[in-house]
Amino acid sequence: MKRRVAVTGLGIISPCGNNIDDFSFNLMTGKSGVRRISSAYSSLLSVKIAAQVDFNPLDYFTKKQVPILDRVNQFALAAASQAWKDSELSLDAKEKERAGVYIGCSMGGANTIEDLYDQLFKHNANRVKPLTVLMIMNNASASYISIEYGLSGPCLTLSTACASSASAIGEAFRQIRDGYVDVMLAGGAEAFLTYGGFRSWESLRVLAVEDPEDPSKSCKPFSKNRTGLVMGEGAAMVVLEEMGRAVGRGAPIYAELMGYGSTSDAGHIVRPSLEGQTRVMAAAFKETGLLPKDIDYINAHGTATHWNDLLETQAIKKVFGDYACKVPISSTKSMHGHTMGAAGAIEFIVSLLAIKNQAVPPTINLDQPDPECDLDYIPNTGRKGVTVNTVMSNAFAFGGTNTVLIAGKMKG
Amino acid sequence: MSTTLERLQKLFIARYNYKLENLSATTTLEELGLDSLDMIDFLFDIEKEFNIIIPDQEFKVKTIQDMVDALDQLISEQNPEQDTGSSSHH
Repeated sequence: MKRRVAVTGLGIISPCGNNIDDFSFNLMTGKSGVRRISSAYSSLLSVKIAAQVDFNPLDYFTKKQVPILDRVNQFALAAASQAWKDSELSLDAKEKERAGVYIGCSMGGANTIEDLYDQLFKHNANRVKPLTVLMIMNNASASYISIEYGLSGPCLTLSTACASSASAIGEAFRQIRDGYVDVMLAGGAEAFLTYGGFRSWESLRVLAVEDPEDPSKSCKPFSKNRTGLVMGEGAAMVVLEEMGRAVGRGAPIYAELMGYGSTSDAGHIVRPSLEGQTRVMAAAFKETGLLPKDIDYINAHGTATHWNDLLETQAIKKVFGDYACKVPISSTKSMHGHTMGAAGAIEFIVSLLAIKNQAVPPTINLDQPDPECDLDYIPNTGRKGVTVNTVMSNAFAFGGTNTVLIAGKMKG
Repeated sequence: MSTTLERLQKLFIARYNYKLENLSATTTLEELGLDSLDMIDFLFDIEKEFNIIIPDQEFKVKTIQDMVDALDQLISEQNPEQDTGSSSHH
């Protein structure tokens, strides 16, 4: 028999705030985290905008710890500490054996890799920082979290590009649902806003052209004049708990995680597939036994590339039918940018906050809607006083992995 | 001294396994089996060969002649000293 799973803690580090309350407020008030890059090399780049995190590691770590943690690890640990505290969890030794960590991360310790190459190729160094391997390895964040909280169940890192942390949350959900563990700390982190990171993404010709009037308006999902994605960074973590356990201890429950769909386009390495996206939504619905008309808010993948926004619109129409034009949908990437490996988790949290606040955040910069993206994308202004019982969060990645998470308000 | 078309044909042959007879001015990229991702990758080789920057948002081309025209335009804007050997009029 499949067990039920509750979300009992949230934590976030993002371009729109480094705690849940700030993040929630900023999104609802349409505040953009996109701005001109504040780095030494920004004058060399052709795309000079990004959604950067404003983060002081000394707020979370000691002076001794800071140099041995890559930025991505710092984000992950900071978000995890918030989520842990938020959940008010306290586990004894036996319970910790039935608790694990699943993290999604696409590029690992990118800042450290860049530093490494700089040392080797520019400075001909013979020795590099001794802990380099430990800072680069993609699994470091998950392991550090496991160590910090003594969670000795499964500890894995998933890598599915822009769906990484959605995959992590979905797979963590199954671990509890299927009885392997009772608690999971799940989410993701990404910190790929390095010189090499920017250059790589620039070269792929998918980055947004800077808005000529206001850089903060450069990410325009579902707009006729959208020009591509804006890179972001950050981390988000959720605490997942077996429902009986959560209810029994009187835990704060944000929602029940009800369904998870995972498919592969098996088509093209970057071009999204209508079939892959419709199939993954159908899979998530099948698991929950819900119907499209039960969804009160969709957090779209909405990267603001030509193809994603077009195809995601078509996929929603295909799956939701007549209801497609009734359900409120937004792409909050318009504000926090594309946080890559962290996107799935950050945006899942956005969906949970819609339930918590009974309010839905906007897609900002939507002044010229694309006639081919003619659904209710909540243009520019968030809406309060909306009945939100069930939410869906989409993540459609490079490589073709598609992930959908469905969560519902606790009844009673 | 090579024309833009000839240099472009050489790049196609060097990068992919096309035969010269299949690279006429009227050949479409679709016929060549190049999708948008292949083009993004190939543009990098083209930029290096012609010493130009191809802006992201333009360069919507269907045929090889379209590419030659677009390249000649960019060369005249960015690298006017370069001899395109082209006698065609745009």
